[in-house]
Amino acid sequence: MKTQLHLQDADSFYEQLLDAHQGLSSAQSELFNARLILLLANQVGDGRVLQECLTAARIATEAAPT
Amino acid sequence: MDSAPAASQATAFTNDYEFSKGGYDLPTYPFVAPPELGSKTAVRHPIVIVGAGITGLTMACALARQGIAAVVLDEDNSVGVKGASSRGICYTQKSLEIFQRLGIYDRIAAKGIQWSVGRTFAGNDEVYSFDLRQQSSFQLSAQPPFINIQQFYIEGFLVQRIQELGHVDLRWGSRVAGFTQQDGFATLTVDTPQGSYQIEAEHVVDASGSHTPFHRWCDAAMQSRRGDDRWCIADVRFKNLPPTERHTWIEAPFNDNRAVWQHLMADDVWRIDYQMEPDADPALVSSEAEVHKRLRRQFGPDVECEIVWVGPYAYRSQCLDALHIGSVYFMGDTAKIVSPFGARGGNTGVADADNLAWKLAAVLRGRAPAALLESYNQERLEAAQQNVQVTNRTARFLRPADGMERVFRTAVIGLARQHPFARQLVNTGRMAVANPYSQSAICESSGGLSVQNVFFHWVDGSPGCVNDLIQWADGRLLLLVFGDQSAQALQRLAELTRHAPVRCVQVLGADTRRQSLETVRDPQGHLQGACHVFGHAWALVRPDAYLAATGEAVDSALVRAVEHALALA
Repeated sequence: MKTQLHLQDADSFYEQLLDAHQGLSSAQSELFNARLILLLANQVGDGRVLQECLTAARIATEAAPT
Repeated sequence: MDSAPAASQATAFTNDYEFSKGGYDLPTYPFVAPPELGSKTAVRHPIVIVGAGITGLTMACALARQGIAAVVLDEDNSVGVKGASSRGICYTQKSLEIFQRLGIYDRIAAKGIQWSVGRTFAGNDEVYSFDLRQQSSFQLSAQPPFINIQQFYIEGFLVQRIQELGHVDLRWGSRVAGFTQQDGFATLTVDTPQGSYQIEAEHVVDASGSHTPFHRWCDAAMQSRRGDDRWCIADVRFKNLPPTERHTWIEAPFNDNRAVWQHLMADDVWRIDYQMEPDADPALVSSEAEVHKRLRRQFGPDVECEIVWVGPYAYRSQCLDALHIGSVYFMGDTAKIVSPFGARGGNTGVADADNLAWKLAAVLRGRAPAALLESYNQERLEAAQQNVQVTNRTARFLRPADGMERVFRTAVIGLARQHPFARQLVNTGRMAVANPYSQSAICESSGGLSVQNVFFHWVDGSPGCVNDLIQWADGRLLLLVFGDQSAQALQRLAELTRHAPVRCVQVLGADTRRQSLETVRDPQGHLQGACHVFGHAWALVRPDAYLAATGEAVDSALVRAVEHALALA
């Protein structure tokens, strides 16, 4: 799993991501995120990397306040 | 000269500022009745600058340095803001390089504070830090990455410098109350303590700030955005100083988990910015009692400090669709307004002024046609739009909309504690840079980048810097040719410098033999690196230390680049 920045233009992507959610209801936003995760996972492909990403997301979730 | 009496009177005033209860005592400059007052005929001036803030004074000083006459009109009789605190506090390497060329850098360096370390916190955890000194991009310039200093000090130094240089008529207590424009010139009505007069101008530079009347007078179209984010800005003098670093909190426990900025200035004054509740009542959140309460929460119950100034801010952004309308050029806050994240306000105004000043000088000296001035809009509008976009992204990170925007920010902060990549997404301000020009008709695709003020060696071995060469070129283009040149190339260069406003320097390694050109040595390749070229190459540098173009062979492409750079073809 890459932990260093790999995005070509991180601020620009972050803006696009937020813009993509604009005007969506919270249910639509959740579904959007689910579809996006599946699309991006298919770009990654590698099973071991995906497993590490799942674990990292889980750890960060448990550490952060909800 | 008309301005001579004003200059000699004003130099009797010092540039010393004193603390008094509630702020600084700023220097004042006297109103001196201009010759137009009481005269029936309006005098036409080549350049009238409206506003003696950092942008207008940089413009005036850059013109004065080139011997170009201008009139500056300012409604106030002082630098800074009545009230009185600093607006901008943080000056970039590019601005400092410009100030070095103008001759006030040493005064700024002596008064200001250098810093290079920034730290960002979420809650009690440091999320990331940077040290600009370790970033090679900043290292080679004669100027540091940043100096923090109250804006009015720089403005005061510029006034001093303009008075030393002459050529510019600084008119204080002079408010522009009316404006009309015809083909080729504008007429301004100026109100003064001793009555009104009219003045004509071939070129009007509007540097009068965010409340400019020129937008209305010129029917200027613009894009604006106003959010509900509210901040309280407190300038504070501490008995025990915090570290000389820039600290930012995304979620500060001592500010109800809202953002806080902690940044320093000269005279041991610190600027602390507190993010408030959305749509908070400005009078309440910026009361001194409230600020003292917040300071005790942040620095401990025993903190000893004096509040120099406190005020509420509602950030907004605005950008004109065009920075040039008829005879009027918009610059600084009249061109665009950004939230003050990353020092992209005042520094952009300084660069606006430096961009237009050399072009106006070239046109007025007959070295370039008026068409050159169109590139001001192309280049500085691109810079304005980029700065608005970058600061709006920061504003959005710091005040996310409820719902998914806030969820993503929480996710970023959570991941950032462990994973370096997510730290790059934490956006507490992207520090200002010299904006590149990608859409300029006067830059080739190889140009448009800023050239750092790096060092080289003169032939006698003594050190020089890029600004020395620009000074030597005296408003002309500066052509640097790297390495040995063929006899044919030497002949072409001689011809080019004979027919066009270009001065040429050959840049050689430590031991290479000199040829029939002016020569400097670049043993470590710093000059070459600053010009973004390698090996045998040439770089065409403009008076604002931007590249017009670079290339390899001394051929017709170089000639075309020179023509484009001055809008000659």
